[in-house]
Amino acid sequence: SPEDTKRVVRSTKDKRFEELTNIIKTIRNAMKIRDVSKCLEEFEQLCKAFLKSKTVVDKEGVPTFYIRLLADLEDYLNELWEDKEGKKKMNKNNAKALSTLRQKIRKYNRDYEAEIVRYKESDESEDDKEDDDDDDVGMSPSAFLKKQRAESGVFLQDEEDEEDSDDDEDWGSDSDDSDSESDDDEGKHTSLASRFLKKTTTDEDRRQIEKKKEDKVKKKQDRKLRRVEEDDEEGMEGEGEGEWKKVEGGAPLVKEKRNMFAKGTEINIPVVLKKLNEILQARGKKGTDRAAQIELLHCLAAIAAENNLGEGILVKIRFNIIASLYDYNPNLAAYMKPEMWGKCLDCINELLDILFDNSNIFIGENIAEDSESLAVSDQPFRVRGCILTLVERMDEEFTKIMQNTDPHSQEYVDNLKDESRVCQIIDRLLKYLELKGSTEEICRVYLRRIMHTYYKFDYKAHNRALAGQKGESKSEQDQAENEGEDSSILMDRLCKFIYAKDRTDRIRTCAILCHIYHHALHNRWYQARDLMLMSHLQDNIQHADPPVQILYNRTMVQLGICAFRQGMIKDAHNALLDIQSSGRAKELLGQGLLMRNMQERNPEQEKIEKRRQVPFHMHINLELLECVYLVSAMLLEIPYMAAHEFDARRRMISKQFHHQLRVGERQPLLGPPESMREHVVAASKAMKMGDWKICHSYIINEKMNGKVWDLFPEAQRVREMLVRKIQEESLRTYLFTYSSVYDSISMEILADMFHLELHTVHSIISKMIINEELMASLDQPTQTVVMHRTEPTSLQNMALQLAEKLGGLVENNERVFDLKQGIYGGYFSRDQKGGYQQKQGYQRDYQRDYQRSYR
Amino acid sequence: MPPQKCAARGGPPPPSAPSYATVSEVVLKIIKHYHEEGQGSEVVQGVLLGLVVEDRLEITNCFPFPQHTEEDADFDEVQYQMEMMRSLRHVNIDHLHVGWYQSTYYGSFVSRALLDSQFSYQHAIEESVVLIYDPIKTAQGSLSLKAYRLTPKLMEICKEKDFTPEGLKKASIAYENMFEEVPIIIKNSHLINVLMWELEEKSAVSDKQELLNLSSSNHLEKSLQLLMDRVDDMTQDIVKYNTYSRNLSKQQQQKHQYLQRRQQENAQRQSRGEPSLPEEDITKMFKPPQAPPRMDTLLIAGQINTYCQNIKEFTSQNLGKLFMAEALQGHSS
Repeated sequence: SPEDTKRVVRSTKDKRFEELTNIIKTIRNAMKIRDVSKCLEEFEQLCKAFLKSKTVVDKEGVPTFYIRLLADLEDYLNELWEDKEGKKKMNKNNAKALSTLRQKIRKYNRDYEAEIVRYKESDESEDDKEDDDDDDVGMSPSAFLKKQRAESGVFLQDEEDEEDSDDDEDWGSDSDDSDSESDDDEGKHTSLASRFLKKTTTDEDRRQIEKKKEDKVKKKQDRKLRRVEEDDEEGMEGEGEGEWKKVEGGAPLVKEKRNMFAKGTEINIPVVLKKLNEILQARGKKGTDRAAQIELLHCLAAIAAENNLGEGILVKIRFNIIASLYDYNPNLAAYMKPEMWGKCLDCINELLDILFDNSNIFIGENIAEDSESLAVSDQPFRVRGCILTLVERMDEEFTKIMQNTDPHSQEYVDNLKDESRVCQIIDRLLKYLELKGSTEEICRVYLRRIMHTYYKFDYKAHNRALAGQKGESKSEQDQAENEGEDSSILMDRLCKFIYAKDRTDRIRTCAILCHIYHHALHNRWYQARDLMLMSHLQDNIQHADPPVQILYNRTMVQLGICAFRQGMIKDAHNALLDIQSSGRAKELLGQGLLMRNMQERNPEQEKIEKRRQVPFHMHINLELLECVYLVSAMLLEIPYMAAHEFDARRRMISKQFHHQLRVGERQPLLGPPESMREHVVAASKAMKMGDWKICHSYIINEKMNGKVWDLFPEAQRVREMLVRKIQEESLRTYLFTYSSVYDSISMEILADMFHLELHTVHSIISKMIINEELMASLDQPTQTVVMHRTEPTSLQNMALQLAEKLGGLVENNERVFDLKQGIYGGYFSRDQKGGYQQKQGYQRDYQRDYQRSYR
Repeated sequence: MPPQKCAARGGPPPPSAPSYATVSEVVLKIIKHYHEEGQGSEVVQGVLLGLVVEDRLEITNCFPFPQHTEEDADFDEVQYQMEMMRSLRHVNIDHLHVGWYQSTYYGSFVSRALLDSQFSYQHAIEESVVLIYDPIKTAQGSLSLKAYRLTPKLMEICKEKDFTPEGLKKASIAYENMFEEVPIIIKNSHLINVLMWELEEKSAVSDKQELLNLSSSNHLEKSLQLLMDRVDDMTQDIVKYNTYSRNLSKQQQQKHQYLQRRQQENAQRQSRGEPSLPEEDITKMFKPPQAPPRMDTLLIAGQINTYCQNIKEFTSQNLGKLFMAEALQGHSS
């Protein structure tokens, strides 16, 4: 966010300036008590500190408080010098210090004469001072300072430039955004004036180029650099620090006219290339101002464009601009600032523009630096660089930005609007690479495209399909279908290309998963399921890297939800079981970190995990997921429980569902259900009694609609399916639970009870009879079910259970006996063993039985 | 329920285990106590008073323990008992403490609590007994009142508090000989007998008797349920014991290996003329694993036994009834 970046800038500046002001304070104190030696000491420190803060000062201009001190100190020293009486009273140290300091400050102040004069007179008139640094050099701080500056190429040359200051004022009034945009020197200017002014400046530059000398090559670059920084500062300083405003408003810093190239230099490709390399060499070095570097590259691009050096060099420069934009953040975890991000998008767009306009440019990673051909000639341009990598990186940056934005803020929405731009760029790149790229590259860019498509529900296609269903003629529907490419068709095309051409397993895996996800999202259950089964991903997904696993989990969940919508309750349950049973759905889907103690996860891991998170707009609603799972489990588990009420070896279908039921039972006082889980638990209880109406009212009502069901695209259809399922399963449960009470029951009555058609009831009961779940037969003429009553009574069941338990007991008992008799028997004393030996015969028989039962 | 006519029991009983006579008054009091205070699985308890006459223990009176409630948690039971007995003495009623009684729920009374309290009774007053009253059985028509004492063997073990497997083995105690049942003779005063005769004459009990009513399923189910729970407990205990004995034997093996190695080493050293290694405390190195206490297992076994007896009794009755019914039906058709 802009706030953050400002704070960062300020903190470095503040740190430096605080250091300076601290020293200044001590100097002023020393001045008060006439401790000149102390003054000298501190002054030397001050010079050093000032040197250290050079980068800041370059950006900010020399701070007033510094100038003020220089002026005051000089005055003070002169005063002391004049005061002969006082001088005599001084001790030897102080006197010596006084003379040294006076000399020093004189020399030092010469550099800041202009500022000091301005400070003293505080009027607008500016003298321009030539920087005469070539006189007595010595080891004075000022000289040292100058040397440093000369070395680092930041060469101050003060020169009156009316246009420049005009320019500055314009820029100052602009916002940051317009700054960056006008810097680009390219469409989209918010302020025409600034653009115009800038053009004139560069025109001027060119006129002056003739007069400049070779050795001043770097000056223009420096001027640009300073200008931008000052603008930035003006933008940022706007909010606070009145002190700074005063200086800039009252007396704009002296602008110098400098040019990147010396006048008279013929601007041609080698020169520009040399310049480019020069700039790039600073890249990655400590203390390099990255923002400035980007700016320089922009200027270079502008110059190259003006001089019509051909697209080759432009492309090359653009590559480097984008690369350095990415470099701007040294930390992998940090994300791009919005303005940088905007620039980056623009730049890539421009680059693509150039590439599209000029089909004779070849770019590639494998073109060696020295085999590049950038010159305008008949031969096509060859440029080193990979646009695909840049775009991929851009996509990653976008993800990072989304990850780091608060998903509930307006900012997120604003950021999300860029998604369409990202897609656009990827689309353009896709078109470009389809013409020029290798299959590998195409696969990669396709995957990018897929990644931006798979999770979006295609409402257009959905509406078209709906319209088609509503009785429009077939031909019309086809026509409508052809209007735009459905995302499904797109997905199909891209994925199939990848399946055919990809050589890396990872891209194919991702493509398959995305394809399945997309199918599932659009209710194409069978395609999705078949693809999942054919791919055999379930067998080896545990070997994939975590992001792919997250994608897999997302796909499985989406598959499960799709199955649920289609009424395949069992499939839905199976698909969701793995994710839900762990209780870590949030983590498995990459939608948030679970709170865990630090022992399990060190900060390093946490960072890695954070980077894996899926951006908020791609999240799957966890409550929906859980609800779908629980309702599926309810529909499966309740009839099952009813059928196996007395079965000692009853297995749980869904542990989680049972857990919820237990939680519900533990409640001392049962109020009306509030949360989604409570609704499901209450519905389960109703279903257990075979009361489908109450079950229905708990599952489908206002609250649940709002929480869950309305989130589905075809909510009404899903609800109808659900009601139907509830009726059917309730009927089954009812028959299981109460069959022992009936001798026979009329199917018509059942159909009436559960609001089902007679034939449905018939089919359900038939199925139960066939599966031997219900011991009954159908009496066709009277339409009744006749119970056979072969189910054991509860007492019989109990006896069976007891028998089973006793079996276990005997088994365990024998194990104890075995141990006494067995391998370790040798260590027991003989007489102890004697007791058992008598029973050997019996035991042998028994053991045989025992072993048989084990086999 | 016509009180049995009674006679003092002859025979030579062991001195500390007299045969018992109770007076119907006590029986009625216990029943009344349960009906007033006990519900469902709740258990009521009280003190028996009486005296030893020759080889008989005559229980002549009783009074209930007050029901515990949350409010009077600091209620002093001993104080209450003393107070009661003193009051009884004032009105010249037998006031010697001879045991206690307890109601039971489907015959589940063999528990650690019962063992402990009976032990303390028997420890303090040698002749004391515990009367177990089963209200459910009684409600079905047959008065169920049993008197139990701890066997001398069990007393010894309880005194030593040695419940390890070895200890129990040494004492050769099993679930069968933990408790000894003492026969009960109910003896009424002549006045009561007369009253009974009179009541029997007057009572307008219908002649129609449901002889063949099984009415057992509920009882049986409950018993089975309880039996099953105990079996589960038993299984758990056995598994525990199993683990213990496996650990023990594993350790034995280790110990043995260690000793052998040490012996070999010593032999080598001797052959080389070096002094043998000092004997270390092996028990310290191999601390035997904690043996699981066996008393609970024994008690569970005892309880299972009681359940089984109950069920057997019940089912044999029912089987008889079933056969009778079959025969009757065959006859009539």
